[in-house]
Amino acid sequence: MKKVATALAGLSLVFVSACGSAGNNTDTAAKETNAGSPAATEAAAATTAAPEKAVKLRIYAQYSDDDTKLPYDYAVAELKKEMPNVELELEVQAQDDGQKLKTYAATGNLPDIYQAGTDIINTFKKSGNILELDKFADLYDFKSKMYPSTMNTLISEDGHIYAYPYAGNEFMLLYYNKELFEKNNVKVPTTYDELMTAVQTFNKAGITPLSLFAKEKWPTVALYDVFATRTEPQGILKLQSGGASPSDPAYKQATEELYKLIQAGLLPKGATNLNFDQAASLFYEGKAAMFLNGQWEIATSTEKLGDKVGWMYFPAADAASYEKNKYAFVGGGNPGGYAVNPDTKDPELAAKVAAFISLKYAEFKYTERGNPMVATKVDKPIVKEYPPMMKQLSEDISKVTSTTAFDWGLSDAKFKAAIEDATQVLMTGGYSVDEFIKDVTKAIPNGK
Amino acid sequence: MKKFLGNKTAIAIFTLPALLLYTIMVFYPIMQTFFRSLYEWDGLTAGTFIWFDNYKNLFDDSVFYTSLYNGLIFAAIITVTQIGIASILAFVIADGVVKGRRLLRISYFIPVVLSITVVCQLWLSIYNGQYGLMNKLFEILGIHYQQDWLSSSKSAIIAVAFVNAWQYMGYHFALILAGVRSVPEQYMEAARIDGATKLQAIRKIMIPMMAETYKFCLVFAVTGGLNAFANMYIMTGGGPGTSTYTLTYLMYRSAFRVGEFGYGSAAAAMLVIECLLATLIINRLVARERITY
Repeated sequence: MKKVATALAGLSLVFVSACGSAGNNTDTAAKETNAGSPAATEAAAATTAAPEKAVKLRIYAQYSDDDTKLPYDYAVAELKKEMPNVELELEVQAQDDGQKLKTYAATGNLPDIYQAGTDIINTFKKSGNILELDKFADLYDFKSKMYPSTMNTLISEDGHIYAYPYAGNEFMLLYYNKELFEKNNVKVPTTYDELMTAVQTFNKAGITPLSLFAKEKWPTVALYDVFATRTEPQGILKLQSGGASPSDPAYKQATEELYKLIQAGLLPKGATNLNFDQAASLFYEGKAAMFLNGQWEIATSTEKLGDKVGWMYFPAADAASYEKNKYAFVGGGNPGGYAVNPDTKDPELAAKVAAFISLKYAEFKYTERGNPMVATKVDKPIVKEYPPMMKQLSEDISKVTSTTAFDWGLSDAKFKAAIEDATQVLMTGGYSVDEFIKDVTKAIPNGK
Repeated sequence: MKKFLGNKTAIAIFTLPALLLYTIMVFYPIMQTFFRSLYEWDGLTAGTFIWFDNYKNLFDDSVFYTSLYNGLIFAAIITVTQIGIASILAFVIADGVVKGRRLLRISYFIPVVLSITVVCQLWLSIYNGQYGLMNKLFEILGIHYQQDWLSSSKSAIIAVAFVNAWQYMGYHFALILAGVRSVPEQYMEAARIDGATKLQAIRKIMIPMMAETYKFCLVFAVTGGLNAFANMYIMTGGGPGTSTYTLTYLMYRSAFRVGEFGYGSAAAAMLVIECLLATLIINRLVARERITY
């Protein structure tokens, strides 16, 4: 036994001394070279510079479909070229209202980099779980690569930067099946009266006028916002800020018009129980004439319906308000993107990775996914041609007079929950305009 | 036995693990909930002590009353349906006349072991306003009662409660059947000799003798109904609007969607109090004395 122990001790000593001598040899070599010419010194420094230490960073990001997987994979592949020493350990983001991330924050287990939206930024700002990125804003020229129109996705309400955005301002669009409109001799509506005529005609023909996945609450808020913005372009944002009340004439009229159309059968039976797949298939299969969704729907709708599909400007009370608010778009952008955990070992490196990933993510969406709605400028040529609907939208972007916000971009969580609930009941037709006004008014901060 | 019960150390040693587990897993979280309900707290920061403001706001919140009402409706529907139907089925199966009892017994229990998500998806299809089985059934029977079951603010909670009633009826059936079997045969025999009909014997002898089983079933169904959550979460998302909210759903919305953990804790505290009250009342009214056969 004693012999074995001695042998082991001996072996370990040999190992230690071997390591030691290897290090010493390098040192000696370096010292010797140092004694030489300056050029030789530089050459030596270059040859002896150790490769950068391998770093593993945990990242929490969306990775569920082609629209999230492909850009992420591209960004990671690009990162491998840019920073070969950095390895990302992906944790797929859960669709859980940010609960997993908040739990990580509460238990001190937050990933180094994570995707954050308005809610997470606002919450983590207070709890100190998000790194203020102001001093890292110019990593990879990030700030200067932002479009002036998308600065709202970078700078938060308090004027600071908390996340590197990749998505630009996105919009709600009212898609329609041109063939169904033509076959049924229905004019593409520009006024509420024309919309009512369309609803009645389609219902008579057994076609659903407008398909809406109202089981999710945000599309119901968006539909209400479509009507509100026809007279008050700031829509739900003005309600949230307390600058307007749902009982103001503009909002009341919007609610009444929407209520009338729902009573007339605007939405499919059981709309509040239709999920995205069910509502979308009604539209794709030609059973619904119109469909409300974000501009990200363009690719799939084009794929399913080809040139039969288009998008229309939202109808308004009369021709004058239609023209006036034609470019008052619904939706918009909000601060969000890749954020950094303040407790990460090397904040600058994590910020660098976050900025790089965001840039590359946007680059892929722009060049390969036919989506020009990105936050940062891309100097690479487009690989995938934009569908006609996207071309039309791209041409209109410069004409946009105002935007509002998507439901998830509302910063007041209480107002958001209340308007989600109220608009969803409004879609059932069993909720009066006055009840709606009363319930939303109660939730407005400093409401009138 | 007397000697053992006199040994206080032994009692302490044997009860301590259960007591510790109960304290850590049940008592401490409940106390935390009550404590946190006095705070304005987002779940991450330290929070601000605001006394009973959360409760004041809760009592001013119309959603609280909707949730309370829905909890009671849900509890009433599942209690009546589950215990009522389970009792009838258990008495029929225990009677010995029905053929294929084993198969029926297993069939009644199958929904209990199914995942709640599967059951909810199944019923979502049945309730579908356009192609659902329920409306088709009415159509075949020539009854004009086709509904948009889950999209109506009034019928949604009833429709959702019925799904829970259907799924867990088998659980109560198993309990009641076990209760029926544990009542000694001679009591029923004596009743029959005295000329009682089957129905009379069940009503006058069997049910009173099974009071303890019914007490357990009642507590289980009522508290299960009051804190219902999964069915509405999967089937309606609390909607349309807030029409299928229960206190548990309100707690979930406040804490996880709005980020008001203090307010959510106040809703949870009210739920705990409500369930405790229901349990106390049931204990007071049913099987106050221990029944021995």
